[in-house]
Amino acid sequence: MGKLALMIDLERCFGCKSCEAACKQEHRLGPGQYRNKVVWLGDASTGAPDFLTLTCQHCERPACLRACPVHPKAITKDPETGVVEVHESLCTGCGECVMACPYSAMGYDAQGHHSVKCDLCPERRERGLDPACAEICPGYAISFGDRENLLEKAHEEGRHLRDHDHFLLKPQTIYLEKIGRENGRANSADGLSLSEKPSRPRFVDSPAASDVFEEKGPAFPYLHDKKTFEADRVVPGGCNFCFNCCSAKFHFQGDKLINVTGNDEDPALNGKICPKAQFTLQLHHNEHRLEYPLKRVGRRGDGEFERISWDQALDEIAAKLEVLREKWGTEALALFVGTRTGLITQKGYVRLFSQMWGTPNLQGTDPFCAAGKVVAYEVTHGINGNGNSYTPEDIGSAGMYLYIGDNQAETRPVYFGKVNDWRIRNKTKMVVVDPRYTATAAKADKWLAIRPGTDMALGLAMAHHILSENMHDARFCDEWVLGWERWRDFIISKGYSPDWAEAVTGIGADDIRALSEDVARADGCVIFGSRGLNQHTNSVQTNRTFMFLAAITGNWGRKGGAYVNMTAGPPIAANAPEERRAEIRKPMVRRSPAGWLSAMREGKPYPVKGLITCNNPLAQWPGQDDARAAFQALDLIVHIELFANETSAYADYVLPAAGGIEKGELGRTNDDRRIVWIDKMIDPPGEAKPDGWIWTELGRRLGFGDVMKEEYKDPGKFWDEMCIDNDFLRGVTQKRLHSVPWRWVRFPVASEDAPEQETLYLEGTTATGQPEGKRFPTPSGRLEFWTEELEEKFAKVGLSALPEFYSEKENLLGLPYLEYEHEDDDLEIISPFSKTPTGSRTARIVQPEEGNIGDALRREGFETTLITGRPPAPHFHSWTHYFWQAQEMWPDLYCEIHPRKAEALGIEDGEKVRVETAHGAIEAMAWVNAGIREDSVYVPIGWGERQPYHPWRSVNFLTDIAQRDPASDQTNLKSLLCRISKA
Amino acid sequence: MRRLDIGDRLLAYLVFAAAVVLVTFFAFQHKLSREWHLPGSPTLYLFGVAGTILLCVSVVFVITKRTGTGGSPLGWFSAHVVTATLGTVLVTIHSGGFLRYAPALLLVALLFLVILGVWARVRLSKDMAATFATRDESFSPPRSEDREQLARLIEEKESLLSRLEPGASEGTFSPMLKHWFLKPGVTLAYARLIGRENKLLGVRSSVSTAQAYWRLVHIVLAFAFVLGMLGHVITVTFFAGYVSGGGEIYWWHLTKW
Repeated sequence: MGKLALMIDLERCFGCKSCEAACKQEHRLGPGQYRNKVVWLGDASTGAPDFLTLTCQHCERPACLRACPVHPKAITKDPETGVVEVHESLCTGCGECVMACPYSAMGYDAQGHHSVKCDLCPERRERGLDPACAEICPGYAISFGDRENLLEKAHEEGRHLRDHDHFLLKPQTIYLEKIGRENGRANSADGLSLSEKPSRPRFVDSPAASDVFEEKGPAFPYLHDKKTFEADRVVPGGCNFCFNCCSAKFHFQGDKLINVTGNDEDPALNGKICPKAQFTLQLHHNEHRLEYPLKRVGRRGDGEFERISWDQALDEIAAKLEVLREKWGTEALALFVGTRTGLITQKGYVRLFSQMWGTPNLQGTDPFCAAGKVVAYEVTHGINGNGNSYTPEDIGSAGMYLYIGDNQAETRPVYFGKVNDWRIRNKTKMVVVDPRYTATAAKADKWLAIRPGTDMALGLAMAHHILSENMHDARFCDEWVLGWERWRDFIISKGYSPDWAEAVTGIGADDIRALSEDVARADGCVIFGSRGLNQHTNSVQTNRTFMFLAAITGNWGRKGGAYVNMTAGPPIAANAPEERRAEIRKPMVRRSPAGWLSAMREGKPYPVKGLITCNNPLAQWPGQDDARAAFQALDLIVHIELFANETSAYADYVLPAAGGIEKGELGRTNDDRRIVWIDKMIDPPGEAKPDGWIWTELGRRLGFGDVMKEEYKDPGKFWDEMCIDNDFLRGVTQKRLHSVPWRWVRFPVASEDAPEQETLYLEGTTATGQPEGKRFPTPSGRLEFWTEELEEKFAKVGLSALPEFYSEKENLLGLPYLEYEHEDDDLEIISPFSKTPTGSRTARIVQPEEGNIGDALRREGFETTLITGRPPAPHFHSWTHYFWQAQEMWPDLYCEIHPRKAEALGIEDGEKVRVETAHGAIEAMAWVNAGIREDSVYVPIGWGERQPYHPWRSVNFLTDIAQRDPASDQTNLKSLLCRISKA
Repeated sequence: MRRLDIGDRLLAYLVFAAAVVLVTFFAFQHKLSREWHLPGSPTLYLFGVAGTILLCVSVVFVITKRTGTGGSPLGWFSAHVVTATLGTVLVTIHSGGFLRYAPALLLVALLFLVILGVWARVRLSKDMAATFATRDESFSPPRSEDREQLARLIEEKESLLSRLEPGASEGTFSPMLKHWFLKPGVTLAYARLIGRENKLLGVRSSVSTAQAYWRLVHIVLAFAFVLGMLGHVITVTFFAGYVSGGGEIYWWHLTKW
């Protein structure tokens, strides 16, 4: 055996910290104990992020070993493998080795008083496995093996090694240098070098951030002797945290969950998972979980409750619902069911309940996240979602990747790991358009720092250039696109040229032209868009613009070419028999729950007096001051959730829910149409119950038991019998899902034996459920840019089917914006874009005049654009904030601010700042970082003031309920004027 | 193998118990007979002897961990903690609150040693843990002049090592107690080279002063304490006249010089 080593590829690592989570899980390390750590660094001048996986270097001249004063040494180096190991039974904990290691790679267990360090997982090696970090890395950034072989592999791939042997210790861990970049970043002969003085977010390393863990140790299995917990069974399933929806394996000893790993048998994801999937351990062993039904005894919002039985809770809720129905009508009950609850709950149990109860006011999180792109897909392409897959032959074969408003590295890290790997292997160009230098942008050939809210202008200008220069795919346009000429004439007549867009977007006209030409000439370009495009009042039109761009360049219905805006929602739809459905006499108040607040507070357009809610609307909904005032006005609030949060405090009843492997459910919708099944494997804590059980029991008490049957508490049976009766899902049966060890099937499959399709809508194929020969599922069978029907629909909400540029009303430049002709208190307009009758608003695009709201705000000192969005990969909305390790990785709410702006305001990195908009104010820790536009700041979502470790007021105190897209009702969460000051 | 470590909680109990004993003793000392007030009285003399023996046991750890003799270094470390704490209690009682003369400095040093040790174990451990991944600059491109300097230093070390421990590998060698006894001159020279190398590696400069030097202070102070304790034993035993300053010699002694 030769010398063993890790090889860490700095080009592939994007800082998700999955290796860190895997290491702590494998070695049962607690808070503050490390064998490896991913450090976020950044070039202080350009803001380019760098990620360094810091672990033992297994030096040939180990300074730690020489510093150890114990004899025989508590640290040894294996002469055969070269592994440097600490023998904890000999270590007296003096800490000399900790100081001696110039790489600061020697960890220390402050509770057990001994050094800890990477030993390359000897128990795993004995079983023929790679170290935990190497096996799990979603970025394929960590390789393990014989050092000579690794060096040979690196040489074959033409990669440079980073020379980091400052101290002549002969470090054996190999770092592959980053590949050169543009953007003026120094390219030395050996490739890109880290800045000599890299910037590192101070708030992450603050001792105060880790002090919160000291009182109580972490829950099982961390800090337990791993040797006493060997798995006796491993069950495949999936992670349900985010929209990557990874397959996973759950390891048990008896009934105790002891490990969560990726599913190495999965042909698509190859056993890779991000930290969140591993935190499932911390979800199922968690002291903060709700375990018993609670009834409010204090004032609403105070959070005072008494424990009651399930029977009492459900009986009382049913009785109060009856009163509510009697007094206000069935429409007075609203149901908010977010993605945490699972697709079967959302589109199965709750849908049935709403049909039988008779309320139109059922909604999930879509209007805050994705409603704009859903509408855009539906009107352009017939149904939501793209038809491509993350396979080497499809997305992996693209000639270019363009990310616009999509930080995939942090939002769907396992997919991004694949894309980034293909990028490197195939030398594919990648460009990222984002106001922030994100982890995704860190891997790109070019980062274009666009002004928030102006993506549509970029898309229009790119199309203008491509069409003006005849670089479009004329054959595809002629054969497969309806109304493209009209659109071409429109954008040319409007003068949406790159020169026009330069002033709007802040991106140089030449850069826009070059980007357009790259997209047009690439043999397949995958354009990724996400919340950066969606969360605007121009959401639908911006998405359509980029869809059109993809279409005119032939990047639709082909392998390696697509417009991918996240998930393709499977058409799950449980339906009660027509005769058993209650009559719904009124339209849904608004598509967005933000539009329900008037109905809750003022009873307009009709009263909404009761709310059954899951998730955490009192951190998640925009306009938190308004939302909380509206909740105070409700007669009944029932909250079904895993953890007590801000919403629980306002509830009359809090019902403890089961999650993931505690209940059996479907994984989330995801980018490549995989339906992932998760079996029930363990019992929930205390008296917590599956969401399906809760809705069924409530339904039974209201007389719906003949449809919401007792037997349907079994989610597998409910799925097979109630959820999949259509051409897309009929083949996704329990039998088929359980026939593969990775537990997923890619839809559409019309029957159990129908083959999965890698790429949909290829030329010569028929779209699912459509007449033979109809390629796209639109009325015309072609992609639809403009039709009379579409024009009529858009006109109804004050827009045109031909996307005309407008931005947000709170903008820095004086750009066109929307003025609304309705509030949320009437039902004069019924949305032409909703599948069920839904109230809507008309708006009109106005040119800015002196004294408009943006102008007025700027004069009051609101001179910075606030962007909100997802925090790094370990977090997802509220629930990861109850996991100690996610909090250890990213503890505090932060405000990312450019150094020049920070200096002008006298703000230093790691200081507490106040962020204020016209709608509210919050505090956060400053992260001074050049990786953001100077005129913008970024504050992430997910924090709440009742969270156990690092409570902060939600960023949604800063957002506005009124700024919504008239077509999709999507809220603007990405561009609000704010002012920053020291707290 | 199971670690024979004293956890923070047990250590806190131990120190708390010691403090309670001392506070109780001095609170009620005025009610006790005269012999509980005089360090040289037969009773307090015995406390002193017992305390000294316990402190000597504590010192054994220092030797066993550096020589590999006597079994588990961690077990000896635990003994070090327990006997040092108990020894401190006994020696403090032995003082009888008689703090006007030079031996009181020994008592102060002893108490400081205990406090420093406990503080390092309980509080400084967190700093040690927080040291992980703090030196990311070590992964940036090296400076050639630093490396040249280190290369020369390593050459010097290798040359000395052939005299100090022939056949040993410089990369994994560090001097032990036996080297200090057998070849003190060469060992000292080698230790100086290690010191220079550590400086170039930023060993102590990369952490807080407390973390960098607490152990050094602990060792030097302990060494000084042991010397002082020896001096105290010798003077009260052989120089009783000098110690009494012409007063009553009421303690056991051999000569009255």
